[in-house]
Order: sequence, then C-alpha cells, then structure tokens
Amino acid sequence: MRRVSVDIGGTFTDCSLVWDDRYVEAKSLTTHQNLALGFNASLKIAYEQLGLTLEEVMREVDSVRYATTLGTNALIERRGPRVGLLVTAGFEAMVPLSRGRGYGEGLPDRQRRDLPMAQRPEPLVPVQMIVGVRERVAETGEILMPVDAEDVRTQVRKLVDNGVQAFVVSLVNAVVQPEHELLVEEIIREEFPEQLLGSAPIVLSHQVGGRKGEYARTSSAILDAFLHNAMYHGLSTLELNLRDNGYRKPMLVIHNSGGMAQLNSTDALQTIHSGPVAGINASEHLAVEADLGNVVCTDMGGTSFDIGLVVKGGVKFYDFNPVIGRWLVNIPMVHLVTLGAGGGSIARFDRLRRAVAVGPESAGSDPGPACYNRGGRYPTVTDADLALGYLLADRYADGSIPLNERRATRALEKEVGEPMGTDALGAAKLIRQKIDNDMANGIAQELRVRGYEPRHFTILAYGGNGPLHACGIANVLGVSRVMVPPFSSIFSAIGAGNMDQLHFHERSLYLSLYDSNTRKIFDDFDSFNALVEELEQKGRDDLMRQGVAPAAIKHRLELDMRYGNQLAQTAVVVSKNRLETADDLMEVLAAFSKDYGRRYGEGSQAPEAGIRINTIRVATYSSMSTLKFADILPKKADLAPAPAATQHKECHFVGHDGAMKTAFHDLADLSFGSVVEAPAVVISPSTTYLVEPGWRLKIGRHGAALFERAE
Amino acid sequence: MGDDMDITGAASGAVDAFLSETNLYLAPDPVIMNNHGLEPRTAYEDECISKESDPVRLEIVRERILAGVNESFEMLENMGAAPGAKWGDCVSAVYTESGDLSLASSGGVVIFCNLVQYPIKFIRKYWSKDKTVGINEGDVFIVNDARYGQAHNTDQSMMMPVFHEGKIVAWAGATVHEGENGAIEPGGMPSLAEQIWDEGLKMSPFKVAENYTLRRDLVTFLQNSVREPKLQYADMKVKMYVCRRIETRIHEAIAEYGVEAVVAALRMNLEDTDAEVRRRLKEWPDGTVRHSWWTDGTLRENVQIKINLELTKKGDELTFDYRGSSPEFTNRSNNSLDITVKGMLAQLFLTFIWPDIPRNQGVLAPVNFIFDNPSVLKPGFGTPSAQSMMTVFTAWSAGQVATMKFLYSNPHKYTRVLAPWFNMINTFLFGGLTQHGEMVGNVCADINGMGGGALADRDGEHGCAPIFATMSDIGEQEFIEEEVPFIQIVSKKMMKDNQGFGRQRGGMGYQMVLAMRDSDAFGFMLTAMGAKFPNIPGLFGGYGCPTYPLARIRGVNVFEILKNDPASFRYSIEELMNERPFPDAQYSTHPMTLGYTLAQRGELYMIAQGTGGGFGDPLERAPADVMRDMDEGLISDDVAWRIYRVVYNKETLHVDEAATAKARDEARRERIAKSKPFDAFCKEWVKDKPSGKVPYFGSWDDKTMVHAGDPDKLHPAGQVVPPVVMAHPLQVKIDKLEAELAECRKSGNR
Repeated sequence: MRRVSVDIGGTFTDCSLVWDDRYVEAKSLTTHQNLALGFNASLKIAYEQLGLTLEEVMREVDSVRYATTLGTNALIERRGPRVGLLVTAGFEAMVPLSRGRGYGEGLPDRQRRDLPMAQRPEPLVPVQMIVGVRERVAETGEILMPVDAEDVRTQVRKLVDNGVQAFVVSLVNAVVQPEHELLVEEIIREEFPEQLLGSAPIVLSHQVGGRKGEYARTSSAILDAFLHNAMYHGLSTLELNLRDNGYRKPMLVIHNSGGMAQLNSTDALQTIHSGPVAGINASEHLAVEADLGNVVCTDMGGTSFDIGLVVKGGVKFYDFNPVIGRWLVNIPMVHLVTLGAGGGSIARFDRLRRAVAVGPESAGSDPGPACYNRGGRYPTVTDADLALGYLLADRYADGSIPLNERRATRALEKEVGEPMGTDALGAAKLIRQKIDNDMANGIAQELRVRGYEPRHFTILAYGGNGPLHACGIANVLGVSRVMVPPFSSIFSAIGAGNMDQLHFHERSLYLSLYDSNTRKIFDDFDSFNALVEELEQKGRDDLMRQGVAPAAIKHRLELDMRYGNQLAQTAVVVSKNRLETADDLMEVLAAFSKDYGRRYGEGSQAPEAGIRINTIRVATYSSMSTLKFADILPKKADLAPAPAATQHKECHFVGHDGAMKTAFHDLADLSFGSVVEAPAVVISPSTTYLVEPGWRLKIGRHGAALFERAE
Repeated sequence: MGDDMDITGAASGAVDAFLSETNLYLAPDPVIMNNHGLEPRTAYEDECISKESDPVRLEIVRERILAGVNESFEMLENMGAAPGAKWGDCVSAVYTESGDLSLASSGGVVIFCNLVQYPIKFIRKYWSKDKTVGINEGDVFIVNDARYGQAHNTDQSMMMPVFHEGKIVAWAGATVHEGENGAIEPGGMPSLAEQIWDEGLKMSPFKVAENYTLRRDLVTFLQNSVREPKLQYADMKVKMYVCRRIETRIHEAIAEYGVEAVVAALRMNLEDTDAEVRRRLKEWPDGTVRHSWWTDGTLRENVQIKINLELTKKGDELTFDYRGSSPEFTNRSNNSLDITVKGMLAQLFLTFIWPDIPRNQGVLAPVNFIFDNPSVLKPGFGTPSAQSMMTVFTAWSAGQVATMKFLYSNPHKYTRVLAPWFNMINTFLFGGLTQHGEMVGNVCADINGMGGGALADRDGEHGCAPIFATMSDIGEQEFIEEEVPFIQIVSKKMMKDNQGFGRQRGGMGYQMVLAMRDSDAFGFMLTAMGAKFPNIPGLFGGYGCPTYPLARIRGVNVFEILKNDPASFRYSIEELMNERPFPDAQYSTHPMTLGYTLAQRGELYMIAQGTGGGFGDPLERAPADVMRDMDEGLISDDVAWRIYRVVYNKETLHVDEAATAKARDEARRERIAKSKPFDAFCKEWVKDKPSGKVPYFGSWDDKTMVHAGDPDKLHPAGQVVPPVVMAHPLQVKIDKLEAELAECRKSGNR
C-alpha cells in the first residue's frame, strides 16, 4: 500500500505517508492563500524521511486523500457567494424563522436559556434574496398547485437584479415529488443558460438531502451553495497541484459521513468537520486492529473537547440533523459532540455554589492562559496544570511557548484561590477536578443515552491536552484503559488514510410496518424492495462513476424506525437488503426492538402503538486496504521498566494531599514496551502524558501508549 | 371546597381523630398547595449535610445527577409521541424526598416540573400511609388534574420514588404537554368547558404502575377516556422509562458518592439558590412598581378582564400582589390557578432575569404572592381552568414589565432589560380523523413562535420562543402534514406592519393560512386573547403588539382554486381579505376564540403569530433601520411615515435625513401642542367607573373593590356575590333575537 493522506487544519497541514510497510508523519503550517504550498511542504518532509523524491511518490502512490477545514473557515469568515433562495410561496420566512429555535443552535445551554440575549446568527441568505414561487405539492407527492412558470421567471429576475451568484431551490415536499424543483431549475437555465458568463450554479434541495423537513433541508442546500465556490476552488487548486506534480489518479475527498469520494462526487457540505470525523474513523480502525473493544474517542485541544463513539460490531452513530456552525442541517454526519472544555478554558469562582466553574469561555491562544505571558489575566486549565507541576515551562509545545509560572500562580490565587479560601495550588486542584468531571459527565451522557456504560469502554485520548487529562477523566468514569493512539498529533490524517469510498442515499416515506388501528402487518415487499434497489442504484452509479468495479461495491441498508408517532429516529441496520417474507419483516421488527430497548430500557418498546419506517437509507461503499496497527501495543513479553527518568519534580494530584515526587521522561528516550510507573510525566514535542497515581503507562509504537490501572 | 376544605386539620381528641380519619375524598390539600417555598430541612437531610458539606464535592455530585436528568430529557424528546414532546413542551426533573424541585433538565418547560412538587407532596402525605395504596420501589404515579399541581389538565406528569435501602431518598418526574385528554373539545384545552367536568381526564395523583410495570387495567381505563388511546398509552410508557432512567442515575451516584452526598447535594442546591436569589434581590432598590393590563375575553364572549399587579421589593424579598384583579368566572375556563401563576413567574426569573440561576424552586423561595380569594388568578375548587393561559400569561407579562422597571436602574444585571415578549398561544388546536384513520386531538407547534421583545439597542427576534420554554420548536410542515389532514398553504410569511413599534421594534409574528384537505371529520379551534385589546404593552415609549383576529373564508374549496385557477390565490391574509379573490365565498373575521368547528374541505382559516413589544420612542428609531424593515417587507410606506416619520425615496429607499429630522421635529411639536398639565389631563382622562361599553371585571381605582361586569356595581374583592356566571352565548343571541322579534311583533301590532 502506498498512500498519502492529508488533513488541512486551520493552523497545520498534517500529512501521513504510507509506503509499503513504512509509515511516516509530517506537519507544516497551513498556507491559506494557496493550500497547495502547505501540502507540498508537509509532503516533502514526509517523503524525505523515506529517502524518496516527489516524482517517485506521485508516480507510484495508490491514492491521495484530503480532509479539510476549508468549509468551516469559509463559514466563519462568511466567504461565499450571494445566494438567492426560491421557496414555495407562503414559506418565505421559513429560513429567517429557523424553526424558532435557530437563535440557540450551536450554543451552550447557558446561552440558550438567556432569552433576552437570543439572537439568530447573521443570515447566509439575506431576506431580500428569498423569493416565493407559486406551486405546492402535498405530503403524498400529489401536485396541489402547478408551478407558475411566469411567476418563477419573475422571481428569478428579481434575484438576478439583486445580484444573485448562486441559486438554491427548495420546495415543500420536493423529496417525494421533485418535479417542481427540476422545473424551476429548467426555467432558470432557460433564462440564464450555463454557457453565459455570470451563470450561477443551482442547488436543488432534494438532491442535497432525501429526507423530509423543509427547513433543515433548505438550510443544508444553502450551506452547500454558500460553500461551493470556496471549496471547489480550494480543492481544485490542490488537484491541479497534484496533476502538475505528475499524479494521475483521482484525488479523494474525505466526507463527514465517514467515507470519501472524488471531487466530482462531493457536495461542499459533506466536507465540513471531515477532519474530526476522520479521527473517529481512525479510532474505529485502531479499535479493531488493537482489539480495544468499545472506544470513546476524545480530542482535547485548547478550546474544545470532542467526543465520538466507536462501538464493537460496527454499529455506526450518525447525527441525521447535525448543527453546522449555527445551522441545523439534515445530512447524515458521523456523530460528534463538542464541549467547551480545553486547556484554555477559563476558571472562575461560582459564588452560588461556593465552587469552581470552568469554561465554556476560553482564553484561546491570544491572549491565552495567564502563563502564556501574553496579557491573559484569568486562570485556565493550562495554568492549573502548570501550577500542579505537570508542565515544564521551557518544554511546552516543544519549547515554542515559554510559560510564566508566576503569572499562573497570581491568576489562580486572585480569581479562584482567594474567594475559595485556598492558595494557588488548592485552586489548581479544584480546577483540574472540575474540568475532568465536566468532560467525564459529557462522555457519560453521550454513552448512556445510547444505552452504553462508560466503564465498558476504552478511552482514546488525543489532541494537545488529551493525554494530560486522560487518567483524570477515566478516574471519574471508572474506565480502566486509556489509549493514546499512534501518530496522535496527525491522527485525523491517519483516519483519512483508512477510509472507504462511501455514499449515502436516503428517502423519506410514511410506511407503516404494523398499523395498530387495523392490526395489519406490512406485506408490499415488492415496492419496498424496488425503493431499496433505486437507492442502491444511485450509490452504485456514484461509485462506478469514480471507477470502482461493480463487484467491489457493497450496500448497507438502514431504516429509521419509530413506534407510533414518535419523533425518535432509531436507525436500524438491517441484515438483509431485501424483504421477501413475513419472517424477514419480523426480523426487522426484532432488530428495532433490540436496539430501542438497549437505548431506552428493556420494556420501553411500544409496538402496540404501531411501527413505522420514516426513512430508508442505503450506504454504498467499496472497502479499501487499510493501515496495519495490529502490533501497535506491546505484549507482556515486550514489557520492560522504563529507563531512568531525566528528572524528578514535585507534583500535586487530585485526591492526594501534599506533593508527590514525580518522574519526568522524554518520549524519545522510551522504547517499545517501556513501562512507566506512576506518578510520572512523559513529554513529547506535541503533548504531555500524565501518569496519575494508580496508573501505569505502556509505550507502544509510533507514539502510541496505553494507560492502565495498576493492580 | 378549595381553601375552605381543610382536610388536614390538626387532630386532637376523639372528634378530631374521627374527622381526620373519616374523609369522603382527598381533595388537594391547601397546606400543600399554598406553599410554594422550600420544605424545611428534614432530620435526615440535616444528618446528610453534617456528613457531606464540602461544596466542591456537592457540586460534582449535582453535576453528575444533572447529566442523568439531561440524558432523560433527551429520551423524552426522542421517544414522546405528543407534539408537545416532539417540539419541546416537556421536561424531566429530580425532587428531594420532601418533594421540592431540585434539579430540572437544562431544556424543557420549568413551570411543568415546578408544579410537580405538589402531587409528590400529596402522594407522600396521603398515599404513603394509606394501606390501599402505599409507596413501594418500582411504583409510578400519574397526575393531570391542575388543582393537584399541573399547569393545566392537558399536561400529564408521572412521578417515581427513588429508594435506597428501603427508604425514599428522592423523586423522579417527567411531564409532557400531551394534548388530547377527553375534554368536551379535542386537544385538551377546551374553551367550551363550563364546569370542571367538561375538562376531560381529572387524574388526581394515583399509582399507575407497580414494579416498573404499567397496570393494563388502568391504562385501558385512561385510553378509554380520551380520543387518542395510542398517544395515551405510548407516552405513559415513555414518561415511566424516563423516570426510571433518572432513578438509575441517582442509584449510580449513590453507589459512587454515598447516599449522604446525594441527599445533601439535592437539598443544598435549593438552599444555595434561595440564598443567591436573596443576595441578588438585595441589589434591587426597595420600592413598589405597579402595572395593570387587560385581556379582552373569556373565550366565549368579549369582556374586559383586569390583571392588577403591585410588585414590592423590600430587603431580600419580593411580593407580587395581584389583588384587585378580576373576579373568577365560575363557568368559563379562562381562570388560572395561583400555582400556575407562581410556576410561570419561576420561568420569568430563570429565563428573562437570572438565566444563570439553577433551575429549581429555590428561585421562588424569597418571593411572596397575594391574591384575592377567589379571583380569576385563584379560582375556587370547582371553577374550570383548562384555558388558564388566557389570564396567567397576562399576569406573567405584568410581572415582566414590573421587574424590568426595577432592573432598568439596577447597576448589576444578569441579562438585558427588554420590552415584553409576546405572550399568547396564537395557534390552531385541531381534532378529528386523520388521513390514516386515526382519531387525534392536539395543538400546532406554532405555539412556540412568539415574537421577542425589543432591547434598548437591538430589535426583538422574530417568532422566536414561547414565554414558557427555551429551544422549543415551531416544527417542520413536511413532518406535520404526514400525520394530520390539513396543510398550511401560507405557513411562514411575516405579518406586514404588525409590529411593536419603537426606537427598537419588537420581533414580529408570521401568518398561517391553512385548510383541511383529507378527512371526513376534522375540525379546528382557536384559543387566544388579543383580537380587540393588545396582549402586551411596549416599554419606555415603545408600542405594544397589535391586535390579532381570526379570518375565515368559507364557501370555497381552495384546493380546487389552486388546481384550476391558481393565479387567483393570494398569499397574505391582508390580500385575501381585502381583495376577496374568490367571488362566491364568505369572508369574515372573528376573535381568536373559535370553539371546535368541523372544517369543510378547502375553506381557509387564517391567523398570525404575535409580535414582541417595542422599546423607546419610535421617533428615535434610526431611519436606516426603518428602511431595512421596508426592504425586508416588514412594514409599509404608511407605517414608515405615520409611525416613524421617515422621508425617503420610495424607489431607492434613500433617506432624506434633513427632511426626516424636520418631520420628526414637527411630530414632537405636535405632541407638545397636544400636551397638558397632569392635573388637566387627569381631569379629562380619568373616569369614575368603566364605560359600560364592554362588561368590565376587576378593580377600577381601588384594588379592594372589583366590578363583576356591571360598571355601576362594586363588590369587595374576593367576595363577589353572586359569583360571576356568564350566560351561554347562544342563549344571549337567542334572547336578543327574541327581544327583536317581540319588538317587531309589537310594532306590527301597532
């Protein structure tokens, strides 16, 4: 296997180069003006480690894969075309009203509760750019009012007069009857043919998402249109760069659905959060290869703490209505939760509780924690970690940020210690205890609401602050194993290197499997199977267009099911892709019941209220070869005590009075199988591993390490 | 009954013992219902707190339990089948062993869980000692009768004791606005209810499950009593499993931190909140603020109903004195229980004043309430209250205005001062057979789209949130149309010119034009105030909301029009009603108080959501903001000139700054010219009594005396004799017609 995978982040471009059995990693600064420069720089660092040339790599590599935050940045900076939106007349305020709750999407609870401060985000489509067209389709697909072509022309001209640069057409019930959206597209094209200069792209809502929910689908289409240009130009530049350097195969783009596709089969919206999703994908692969069982992936950086789930047996967790930025959308995205907890999270005295509160406000990187010496006055988690002795002032971030211990101490004393009646050290312990508890509660809620117990999971800890807080979080959750993955500083790029080509196609419908009023069991299997076949065909077309051989294409059928008239959408993965007999149907009902019972409690199932399918979803994919991590962790025979520490220092730990003599190691001094006993700190250029009392650390390959509770 | 029915009477001696043991039935207990404050610490709580007093540790325990409650709330939203559950009108919570609300889920409706304290306290007091009932591990209780502690009978709560080693240490609760409850009209909020027995299910707190299993006989009885047996069954199961999830999380917290830590954390959460609220109240200046407002009907007839509020802050306590408000209407459903007023005001504090305060009932501990008893805000035991929103929301808004006046000059605020939020449920209730052959009765999610009030420097948010919840949802039509046989043809389109004008304007409401399409038996009803008199005022010179009628077009099948003559359809209420595009149809407007009415296919029902109040003088509104509203189609040229006095080019919307300044200056001079000394104004403006044009209910200038419809007759507040009994509107009509007939006959005879 010869593979290049790249994760372009806001600050760094991470690169993973796999060349047969050799794996190397590289990092360079992201070059926003031309992403190709950063890419070339990081790739150069990688191939030079292997003694290769650019020409060799480009000629012989199997595939080049990208995960990118380009879209996220474009959203933050509001860089996008002037989008014009055509909706069903009578629904003009649908997007501005954003289901009422749009003011709070993407915000923490505390802000959501503050109604006087409620304010929706600056719209991506100004009200003046929204027009209604005279048409209406019923929920069954019946056309209640035909499209008024003249009216459409008038509205389109209005948008053109207002400077439209991209059209979004989103009509009510278009997913069951797309005829009207297609007709509006045709009219726009008649008026403004594609070959003319100034022709604007057209996004049709039913092509972005196949599920019902006019607001979330419209919102998805708007984001897609808004991001299209930035994404297209950014990624095209990269593809061109590859071509110029001699690469002749297709470039693959990572999707937030957990798969990837060629550029010509990628919607802009599918690339948002693709980096973190690639990290979850890498975790899934690692969990299987290293036999970790159920895994909760945690990425603790400077401002946030991301949580993802990987459960044994290939159960997938998706958000079908994820929030991107401040907007609710309805594309399937790998489930990812972000909490406002990181090294920069600010701690303060909570007068009401007479306790410490931490975050979600963050000091960011500028001014950053008080110890950064850049003017930050408030104590942060990093200041607490420094005061407790875990960080070496001259080794933080590989020595690039010298830390000022005195400033940290002062901030801790003043903002937390004094009101709490303790000193800086006491304050630091309280902060650490609080943040670890908060993160643990976040994980627990995520797992338990899906019917899982945290103690049955292994935590995968990555991100700059992950290994530093891993034991603390695990202590709260009762988890006994924490793994720091290999190549943890470029973990998303590793994930990108392991993805399959994957496409989702879905369709909303009102399909009663068991009608509790008539006591009738569904039996129209032919129409069900025909619909599945149609969705599979779409997926097959997607992959074949990208050169995948038909024999290599697989499908996974998922049904969103509910009891009675619930809102719940429990996605049930069905073992058979076709229903042939009543027994097949009973198997589906049993699978739903099992999954529902696990989530909400055995006995909570309510089939007596009827059972429905609301969405049929087909995941079409083609499996590709993957990286090998099977021998990443040492076996018993490989274990040996770590070499002598480079230094010892007094450190303080939550739950332990007084200072404890703590060994400090350099990761570079440790080898495969080294066992580091607690209390200890292991320093690497990108992170700090803290071995808290009661734990030990086993060193694996490529920076991987395993925290285990000491017997 | 009601307060007079004191069944708890301290027993001493044989007679007292006999009386206390010999009850016909256990009505709501006034000792429980009249106490919204915290129960005293129990000996066990004292013991736990003496062992576990480290606030840092208690905070960790509290957060741990809260994570479990939030998890249960997520379950409730996902599993619930009622629109109320799907679109956010639900909540889950943990209560102390004594029944005080200690931890509400971060999302959901605070008033719901605040009121569940009462049935829990009832269950503790009566059923725990009753051999025929008892409280055991795995028991689950249910309640929907508002008089025992619910916002109104359409809500249903389930409660589960949490045991530890054979002893109750806490309670779990879950509430959903279920909608249908078998009342005289479908949907659970009957405006036709003249007696409490017209209000549908009246579940006093009773045990509905044992050993974590619903009793099928009782479930069947309840299913048999409502129009939606499927919903009744499914959501009972949901609420029980939500309680069970909370129970599990509490057990886990006990296993990890010890029972003392859990009990201490739940108790201290209340006491800490009480202490912090008192500290914050001390920051307010001492004094009294008065605010009165009126609603314009009973849902059956147009009348003027006064809500009178005197809000006094002294030291670390606050007193809401609602005396002088309207007397109760003994055969109308618009009365609000006092517990509902209190519960709503908890929401005011937790969302609009101190959104950072923990969601528990400690927030009301330093707050006192005074009501005339009986009155429209504290009705008697047998008085209907299914439509309590009609008066409690006005009482809430009066509280919002009064507190904002206190907060304005307060140097330390925990959020912003704002003009009143729109406060009325401008939405359709519906009921009948769906296109799938199911019988349903419920309410549209548009209830959640109330317009936000304006702030000192920012306009209010359009159709944003109801006053009783955050992050609830106005829903997606594509989902809704799948389940009910009507469609909104105009679903979300702003209601032009319906603005709370001001230097900053209120957030506006949107129009809904709907028609039944696919059922042989389906109807609508409407239950909102504000067709004649605005529901809310503005603040500091800003305007209140406009008035909102129901408009109907009958004698038309709009689906035929859409298919055969689509060009004739108009997409706004204004155009449809003014242009009257369907020649043979009948066009009419009504108060928003439509009793349940079977709909004909294709006839149009049209309403608008309401706008929040404006803040400050409209003449101070930045002309650019006025032009932005013009550009967005929110206002007309008429409003831009008549209200805001902006002079501009109608083609380009370019403002003529000088001409605008001049016009505004003239407007101010006109105001001055019309002004007069205060005494002169009073002499002209102040009247001795109501005009009598509309029946008037409530005090005039002396809060101790109230009118009961008659402008010439006053009654001591709380002692209206005979009580207010409204004639049946049809009878009124018949009487009027008969009188006219008699007059005609008389003239004819002559």
